[in-house]
Amino acid sequence: MKRAWIGWSAVAGLALLAVGTWIGLFVAPAERHMGDVQRIMYVHVPSAWIGMVCFTAAFVFAILSLWSGRRVWDDRLVGAVEVGVVLNALLLVQGSIWGRATWGVWWDWDVRLTTSLVMLLLFAGVLALRRLADDEGRRASWSAVATIVGYVDVPLVYFCVRWWRSLHQVQSTPETVDPAMALPLRLNAIGLLLVAIWMASRRARLEGARRIAESAAPPARVVSEEVARA
Amino acid sequence: MRLARQAWLIFRKDLLLEWRGRARTVSVLLFGVVTLVLFSFALGPEAEPLRRGAAGFLTLALLLSSVLGLNESFRLEQEDRALEGLLLRPVEPTALFYGKALGSAFLLLLLALILVPAAVVLYDLSPTPAGLLQLAGLWALASAGLAAPGTLYAAITGRLQSQDVALPLLLFPLVVPVLLGSVKAMDLVLTGDPMHQLRSWALLLAGFDAIYWSVCGILFPFAIEES
Amino acid sequence: MAHVDLDLPAGGSLLLAGANGSGKTTLLRLLAGRLEASAGTLRLFGLDPRRHRGTVRSGLSMVAHHLSLYPRLTAAETLALWLRLGGEPAPADRVRDLLAEAGLEAHGNVEVGAYSAGMRKRLALVRVRIERPRLLLLDEPFSALDSEGRAWLAEWLAGLRREGVGLVLASHALEWSAPLCEQGVRLAAGQVTWSGPAAALLEAGG
Repeated sequence: MKRAWIGWSAVAGLALLAVGTWIGLFVAPAERHMGDVQRIMYVHVPSAWIGMVCFTAAFVFAILSLWSGRRVWDDRLVGAVEVGVVLNALLLVQGSIWGRATWGVWWDWDVRLTTSLVMLLLFAGVLALRRLADDEGRRASWSAVATIVGYVDVPLVYFCVRWWRSLHQVQSTPETVDPAMALPLRLNAIGLLLVAIWMASRRARLEGARRIAESAAPPARVVSEEVARA
Repeated sequence: MRLARQAWLIFRKDLLLEWRGRARTVSVLLFGVVTLVLFSFALGPEAEPLRRGAAGFLTLALLLSSVLGLNESFRLEQEDRALEGLLLRPVEPTALFYGKALGSAFLLLLLALILVPAAVVLYDLSPTPAGLLQLAGLWALASAGLAAPGTLYAAITGRLQSQDVALPLLLFPLVVPVLLGSVKAMDLVLTGDPMHQLRSWALLLAGFDAIYWSVCGILFPFAIEES
Repeated sequence: MAHVDLDLPAGGSLLLAGANGSGKTTLLRLLAGRLEASAGTLRLFGLDPRRHRGTVRSGLSMVAHHLSLYPRLTAAETLALWLRLGGEPAPADRVRDLLAEAGLEAHGNVEVGAYSAGMRKRLALVRVRIERPRLLLLDEPFSALDSEGRAWLAEWLAGLRREGVGLVLASHALEWSAPLCEQGVRLAAGQVTWSGPAAALLEAGG
């Protein structure tokens, strides 16, 4: 029942994304200084928001995972982190394109982009750690620990980088508050949120199924020990 | 307080073991010097770029050496599975964390005795006595900032096959604030601080240390438990 | 592991027999809390180890194949550290007495890494004394000991049993271990295939 509900809201989410993007690309006014290039904001800003939502959710799941010891929270953590990492990666690509188009450089250590880069590395590290851990219980606690430690770092990194850059007085990406632009922005944000929830919960279910299958199957290691002895 | 006493005992044990195995400890120190020299080759031989980059090179040398030191701290526990014995005894995992983190921080602090003079020589620096004191303080803050999350992650990665790559992979993005703070602050000490920003950077480092020495201490028991 | 139903009264002793890979070590690790069971209930000293972790842990001691000794500490330092970690003082005579119990008085100030396997085992076992366990788990304690060492161990364990310490012992050396234990089980492929008095295991030849 719950699955169907999530599935349908994802469809609604895609619809919202379609509408929001269309408005953003064709209907909303162009920005004064940057022109049409600025329209990338309609994907860029929602990606940033929802990426942050994903990592915040992962942080909460991590705490719950350690607190309760129930593996289901670990599954959900995986879903949230993976979707967050993907969104962050896209964010960096979008930011790079925007930077190239407006300032002529592929990367300029903008505060938000730099923080996103570090976040990407932190949470990709969590995923990498999962691959390296072969024991299920450890994998869950380690992922949770790394997620919590990484998340706490995010505000520190943000302030640090902002300070670091302020010594060089470079312009950062401007915000726009024109109400005509707010609508497609919000539509896209909500749409993306719904799609992200759907993807994260599917990934969580996949992880749960994989985990159950893994513990039911005979350990592969027994076979290799036999081979090693032979 | 039992926790403090156990942490102190673990710290002393680690120092004793480091001393007994000092060949390895010396290797870590030498590695730091080698790193500084490599930076000279990469960016020299003109004195000016080296002088300007000195704070960065020192911090990077500290960071790279820390990985070796941290791995070593847990390698000691891997021999004969000594760690398991400690945990079966009612040793609080939290005490274990603080003891080992202090041990690692101490080792990193020791690095300063070798690396700062080496940098002064290689990069033609001329710090004042007050400046040296400030550098020492900053180095202590940076070492502490690396030691706490480093000990937590070393406990995790020490059990993995690919431990030597996993530790830096996890640790380096995390300690970006330490990296930035240390470089900026040391640079201000070495090249002048017209706008009195040193204190802010030092506070940032201290804040990072306070946060991570608490958070990692709380999380360490989860990192150490068997399934 | 499956179908393991065991009941050990306080101060009792249990022998685990079985071929390599039959699950003896796994069972010991489960009891020690180093592994978690996926199903079933475990009660130690009448308590759930997950809820009363501290109490259960302080009543247990285990000496396994890995002795958990620091090779670079001397025997005296190892014992002193263990005493202090438990909150006790470590006066020189106490340490000396413990070393004497292990037959290591002459080697107290030598690094453990230089010891023979038998000496290290004796040190690890005597270190257990400091922990004052109510239940002692041993995985192949008679291995790596020569016949003199085995005699020492049998006597030492008998002494512990007289003090009321419970014992769970996994061993191949049945002629030494069976006399120390009241109950015995045989394990095969993770299951208990036989249980009864330990003496019967010795007669059956393992």
